[in-house]
Amino acid sequence: MRRNTSWAAAVAALVLLGLADPGRAARGQALGPGFELERAGRYADAASVYFTTVRSDPTNIPALLGLERALFILNRMPELLPLVQNARGRLPDSPALRSLELRVYAALNQLDSLETIARRWAASAPESEAPYREWGQALADRRQWDEARRAFLIGRRTLGGDGTLALELAQLEQRAGNWEAAAAEWGRAVTRSPDVGPNAASQLADAPVALHDRVARVLTLPAPATSARARRLGAEVLLTWGQPAAAWVAMESTLGARGGDSEAPDALRRFADLANVLTTPEGHRVRGLALTRWAELEGVPWQEASRARAEAVRELLDGGDKAGARRVLEGLTTDSAAPAEAHAVAEAALLQVLIADGQLDVAAERLSAGRTTLTADDRAALRLALSKALVARGELDRAEAALGSDSSVTDVAQRGWISLYRGNLKAAMEGFRLAGPYATDRAAATERTAMMAMLQRIQRESSPELGAALLTLARGDSVVAIAALRRAATRLPEQGGQVEVLLLAGQVAAQKGGEQEPTATALFDEIVRAGGEGAAPAAAELEWARLLVRRGENAAAIPHLEHLILTYPNSAFVPEARRVLERAKGAIPKS
Amino acid sequence: MDDAQTDHLKAYGLTYRAIQAGLKAEWLLNYRGGSFLIPDLDALRRDAALNGIRTEPVDSAMTAVRGEIEASNMDAVPLEKASKVAVYAPPNAAPWDDAVTMALQYAGISFTKIWDSEVMNGSLKDFDWLHLHHEDFTGQYSKFFLIYSGMSWLAEMVQRNTDMARRLGFGTVPDLKKAVARGIRAYVENGGFLFAMCTATETIDLALAAEKVDIAATFADGTPIDPDADAKLDWSKSFAFTGAHIEPNPLIASFSDIDGHQVNGGARRQPLGAFTLFNFSAKIDPVPTMLVQNHRQVIPDFYGLTTSFTRNRLKPGVTILAEEEAAPWVKYVHGDLGKGTWTFFGGHDPEDAQHQIGDPPTDLSLHPHSPGYRLILNNVLFPAAKKRELKT
Repeated sequence: MRRNTSWAAAVAALVLLGLADPGRAARGQALGPGFELERAGRYADAASVYFTTVRSDPTNIPALLGLERALFILNRMPELLPLVQNARGRLPDSPALRSLELRVYAALNQLDSLETIARRWAASAPESEAPYREWGQALADRRQWDEARRAFLIGRRTLGGDGTLALELAQLEQRAGNWEAAAAEWGRAVTRSPDVGPNAASQLADAPVALHDRVARVLTLPAPATSARARRLGAEVLLTWGQPAAAWVAMESTLGARGGDSEAPDALRRFADLANVLTTPEGHRVRGLALTRWAELEGVPWQEASRARAEAVRELLDGGDKAGARRVLEGLTTDSAAPAEAHAVAEAALLQVLIADGQLDVAAERLSAGRTTLTADDRAALRLALSKALVARGELDRAEAALGSDSSVTDVAQRGWISLYRGNLKAAMEGFRLAGPYATDRAAATERTAMMAMLQRIQRESSPELGAALLTLARGDSVVAIAALRRAATRLPEQGGQVEVLLLAGQVAAQKGGEQEPTATALFDEIVRAGGEGAAPAAAELEWARLLVRRGENAAAIPHLEHLILTYPNSAFVPEARRVLERAKGAIPKS
Repeated sequence: MDDAQTDHLKAYGLTYRAIQAGLKAEWLLNYRGGSFLIPDLDALRRDAALNGIRTEPVDSAMTAVRGEIEASNMDAVPLEKASKVAVYAPPNAAPWDDAVTMALQYAGISFTKIWDSEVMNGSLKDFDWLHLHHEDFTGQYSKFFLIYSGMSWLAEMVQRNTDMARRLGFGTVPDLKKAVARGIRAYVENGGFLFAMCTATETIDLALAAEKVDIAATFADGTPIDPDADAKLDWSKSFAFTGAHIEPNPLIASFSDIDGHQVNGGARRQPLGAFTLFNFSAKIDPVPTMLVQNHRQVIPDFYGLTTSFTRNRLKPGVTILAEEEAAPWVKYVHGDLGKGTWTFFGGHDPEDAQHQIGDPPTDLSLHPHSPGYRLILNNVLFPAAKKRELKT
C-alpha cells in the first residue's frame, strides 16, 4: 500500500516538475520506458533503464524509487544502497532520500544501521516526526511489528505528547491484529486531530465481531480516561456495528447538561446522519434522540431546528418511543416561530401518536376540527388509521363514520372489511372488487385478494359467525379467533368454503406458534386428508411442511413436500414447494 | 435437452441416480441439445416429478430417434457406472464455496470431500473422479497474504495449511502443495478423471513444473522466488501448459501469464466476452462431444482468479473445448495423461460473472438452465460412459 502511494506521488512529481523545467521533463521521459517495462512485469529491464538514469543524474528520485520497486522484486536490493547513500550525500536535507535510505536498510534487514541512520536524521531535525515515522514504517512494511512499535514509541517519548505518532501506531496495531491497542491509538489520534475521525471510524469498523465489546470499551471509558473526541469515535464505531443504544450512551456522555463543546453540533449531526442507515426500531429511536438534542443546541438556525424536530418525531415513532415523540411534538405544535410545513408534519405526527396511544376520541375531535394545517393526503391517511383503530376496538359503526364521505379506493377497501366483520359477505366482496388490486400498499392488496379467494368458495351472502371470527382476528385475539374460525367453518359445506376457512385458522395458528402449533398441525392434517378441489389442500400441505422446517424437522417436512408435488402437479404452490424441498434437503443455500 | 427441458441441471442428477441404481441409460449426444434415455420406471418418473425435470415417453418414437441419430452428427453412448466422486476442499469448506459442489448438491449427486492428508495417504484410488476448484497449489494462499492481511478468514486459511504441512512432515506449505499436486498427477496417470476450475487449473501445473524450483514468495516459505524460476520450470511434468512466465510480485494476486484475463493484474486485466463451444464429431470423438453437450453454443464468460488460458501457453495436443473467438485465450480444455484424463475450465462461478470474496452464494434453483453449470455436470457424467466408446 505504502509503496503504491510513493509511486503515485513520484509520477505526480514528475509531471509537475516537468511543467516548470524542460530539462527535468526530458529526464522524466527517459524514465517512461522503465514504467512501461515494470507494468509489463519486465523488472530486470526496467531496473536497467533506472540505473542508466541514476548514472547520469544521481539524485533523480523517481529513478531511485523505480529501482527500489524493481530491485525488491528481483531480490537485488544490495545494489541500491550505494546509490542511495551517494544521493543522500549530495542532498542531505532531502526527506525523500532519507526515507528511501531507511527503507533500503530495512529491506536489507540491517536493523542496527537502520536505527543509527534514523537517529542521525532525528538529531538533524529535532522537532520532526518524520524520522521516527519513516523508521517505524520501514519496519512495519516488513511486518516487523515489535521493532516498528519500538521506533514509533521512541519518537513519542523523544518528542513528547500523548498523540504523537498515534496515527502510525494505530495503523501498525491494526495490521498486527491488536485491535484494542489500535482503538486506543485511534482515540489518541482523533484527540490530537479531529480530521482523523472518519478514517479512524472506517478502520475500526472492520474489527472482528468477537472483539467489538473490548474495542468499544477502550474508546468509551468515562472522562478523563478518554477524551470527548475519542468517545464520539466510539459512538460512531458502535453505530457502524449496529449497536445504536450503546452508541447513543457514548455520544450523550460527550454532550453534558448544556450541550457540550463547539464540536458538538457537527458531531451530533454526523451521528444522526450515520444512524439514518439503520433500519431497526432502536436505530430510528436513537436517530430521533440525536436530532432532538441537535435541535436544542445553541446556534442551530430555528428553521433547521424545527425541521429536525419534525424528523425526530417520525424517527421516535418508528422506534416505538411514543412518549419521546409526544414530548417533541408538544414543543413543536406550540412553537409559533416554526414554519407552516413543520406545523403540518407535527400535527400529522401528533395525531398518529394519539391514534397509536388509543386516544381515539381526542384524535377524532382534532381530525374533524375545521381549522387544521393537515394536508388532504395526511387527513385521508389519518382517517383510515383512525377507522382501523376503531375496528380493533370492535366499534364498527364509528369506524365507518370515521371514514367520512370520502370514496377513495382505500376507503372503499376499508368499508369492505367493515362489511365482512359484520358478516355481510356479499358487500365485502363488492367493496374489495371495487377497490381493485392497487389500493393502499402491496401487503394490504395481497391480504384483500387472499380474502376474496376464500369468500369466492363460500356460496353464501352472509355469515355472521365468520364475520365475528374475522373481527376477533383483526382485533388481535388470535387464539380466540382460531376457535371461532373453526366453529364458523363447521357451518359451511366441506367443498363450499369449509376447508378454506380451516386453512386460514391453521395459518393463524402456525403463525402464532408455541402452544398453537399442534392446532395448526391438526388443521393442516384435516385439510390434506379431506383433499378435493381448490387450492386449500396443497396450500395446507405447504404450510405444514414450512412449519416443520421452522422447527428444524426437515426429514418430516420432506414427505409432505413430495406428496404435494406429486399429488397436485399443476398447483401454483409446486414451484415454492420445490424450493422448500431443495432447502430442506440442503441442495441450495439458505437465502 | 433443448429449451423444452424444465431443469437441465437436475436431469444430470436423475440420470446419475438411475445408473447408480444399476439401471441402463444412454446419453444421446447432440440429440436435442444432448438428451438422456432412461428406463420408464415409476421410481424414475417420481424422481423427475419431484425435481421438476421434464421427461418425454419415447416408446413408439424411439426407432425414429435412433434413425435420426444414425443419420446425423449424433451418437448414443451407453452409461453404465456412476463414478465415485471426490472433491478436494478443506474440511470446513461450505458447499457454496465452489461451483462444482453447488452443482452436485443441487443435482443430488453424492460426493466425498478429501484434502491433503487423503491425497498423501493414497485414498484417491478409491474414487473415479476428482474435482479441484480454487486451491492454490503454489502454496501462496491465492496471493491474498499481503492484500488481505489481517482478515480472519485468511489467518484461518494460513493456520490450517501450516498445521497440515507440519502434520504431514513438510517444512513449508508450498512444499506440501507440490507433493499433493504430484499425488493428483499420479492419480490421473493411473486412470483417474480430473476436473479442475479457477485457480486450481493454473496452479497445479505451476506446482508440477516447479518441483525443484522456488516459485513461492517470501511470505509463503520464508525465501524469495528463484530469480531464474522461469528458465528452470520443467513443463514435461504439467498437464496442460508450457513456457509460462511466473508473476513475481507478491502484491499482485496473479500467478503467471497462463491466465488470459488477469482479473487482479491491474492494467493487464481484460474484459469479459463470451465463449463458444466446439462442435465435435459425435461418432469419432465422443469424449469431447460429451463434454460440450449443451442447449447453448455461446455462453457469457465469467471471471475467476484464473479465468481463461492463453493459447500460446497450451501444450500441443491439448483439445480446446471452448474458446473466445479471435481472443488470445481459450476457456475450456481437455487432455489425456497415462490411463486417465483431465479437463480444465477457467473461471469461478458461471452464474456470478464478477464473483467477489464474501458475495452471497449462487442459488441454482434460480438458474436451472445454466449452460455454464451444464458443462460442469457433463464432466461428472462422462466417466460413466462405457469404456469401449471412448475413442480419444
